[in-house]
Amino acid sequence: MRTWIRSVPSWQITLAVALLALGFLIAAQLGAEGPRVRYTTQERSPLVETALGLQDQQEALKRQILELRTKIGTLEAQGPGSASSLRDLYAELEQARNGAGLIGLAGPGLVFRLEDSGQPGAGADSLVSARDLRVLVQELWLAGAEAIAINGERITVSTAVLDIGGSVLVNSAYLAPPYKIAAIGPADLYKRVQASVSFQDFVIERVERHGLALSVDDLDEVDVPAFAGTVVIRFGQPDASVAPGS
Amino acid sequence: MSTARNRRSQLTIAAVAGILGILVIGQLRGQAAVPGLSVLSAQELTLVIANLNTRNEQLRTEIASLDQQAKALESATANGQTTVGQLRADLARIRAWSGATGLTGPGISISIRGPIGGDGVEDLLNELRNAGAEAIAVGDVRVVPGTVVAGIPGAISVENTALPDLFEIRAIGSPEILLGTLTRAGGVIAQIGATYPDARISVTPLTTVSIPPTTRILISSHGQPRL
Repeated sequence: MRTWIRSVPSWQITLAVALLALGFLIAAQLGAEGPRVRYTTQERSPLVETALGLQDQQEALKRQILELRTKIGTLEAQGPGSASSLRDLYAELEQARNGAGLIGLAGPGLVFRLEDSGQPGAGADSLVSARDLRVLVQELWLAGAEAIAINGERITVSTAVLDIGGSVLVNSAYLAPPYKIAAIGPADLYKRVQASVSFQDFVIERVERHGLALSVDDLDEVDVPAFAGTVVIRFGQPDASVAPGS
Repeated sequence: MSTARNRRSQLTIAAVAGILGILVIGQLRGQAAVPGLSVLSAQELTLVIANLNTRNEQLRTEIASLDQQAKALESATANGQTTVGQLRADLARIRAWSGATGLTGPGISISIRGPIGGDGVEDLLNELRNAGAEAIAVGDVRVVPGTVVAGIPGAISVENTALPDLFEIRAIGSPEILLGTLTRAGGVIAQIGATYPDARISVTPLTTVSIPPTTRILISSHGQPRL
């Protein structure tokens, strides 16, 4: 027996011990997970694939919408009408689309980057929530921002920002951290935001206390993309009154 | 003989290390491809999928409408005709949606009395948008991008106008869906009730709600259209 053991090369013994330890660890891990967790884990894989497939479809559909809007704008500009009334109508349409957020903008502004706390063992309060994003968007509006997008999703009149697990839905699009909030506004937009007491409270509560990572880039040019979603009125009837400057 | 054994052992270890390396890289790439999704539960993923399905359907409807519009324009251009009627309809739709035009239609009225913070009102507005509200007004102020209800309980304001102790939020949309979304168990009104227990919120479905146009300038003065 002793002779047989001596005849086994040392690397084989090392490998056998390592594989034994690995097998023990895997068995222990599986044993520690309850049946419900295992069932959930088995279910998740096709769900993740479905969600990814739908997200890809959504990106393609959004691109198609933007392309069609561009095409319509070009066709309108090339329209046969040279009458000033028609040109005025095209100009009004372009202005209305701009005001609705259907045209991408570039201008001075800033980009906030907000991320979950990287601290080990951090709780739910250390994750970026929909409310955190809404607060930053509200602070930007109050400071004079004129156009805002979160991870490329333009904030429009119909935008809801909702929690979903540890992540967020904006315009019904699933967004994952890090969240980049791009805003166009006056050159001193960031100074105005910084001066806000409610923004300072947000920094104290969410960044300093719960460890969210917030950084800002004050930029000469920020891109805020066009809204690539539906513009539908089903229930309301438009009045004749039109707001000034729109 | 010993050299052959050494080579075999080295090959075995290299093969094990290679397999482990492939598994680790596969795992890392898998996680990178689905940021965030990997941490969601099956229930949350189902919710994400439902939302994505709904949005994709809406986007397809929008594409069909835009496609029809583009074809009509192409046809009109080819025939040397104008499409004034369609252009005006498009203009009216975009203006109504953006808040530039007043709207009238079925919806709900939310009456709020007592101390509530601006954050509570903003939560309500967010939930109304989520429920498909087509137009919202706080008091007489149309809610558009840039409109914020802010302030501490007892001193909230919108567009620099203080809101009284009793004020109203009106929204146009499906009265049933708006009412159901706001008042469901554990919904936004229940959550606000937990944060602001002295605030009283009631929701009334209405057949006709009128929402005024915004008084804000919707066109950005600092941003230029991106070509």
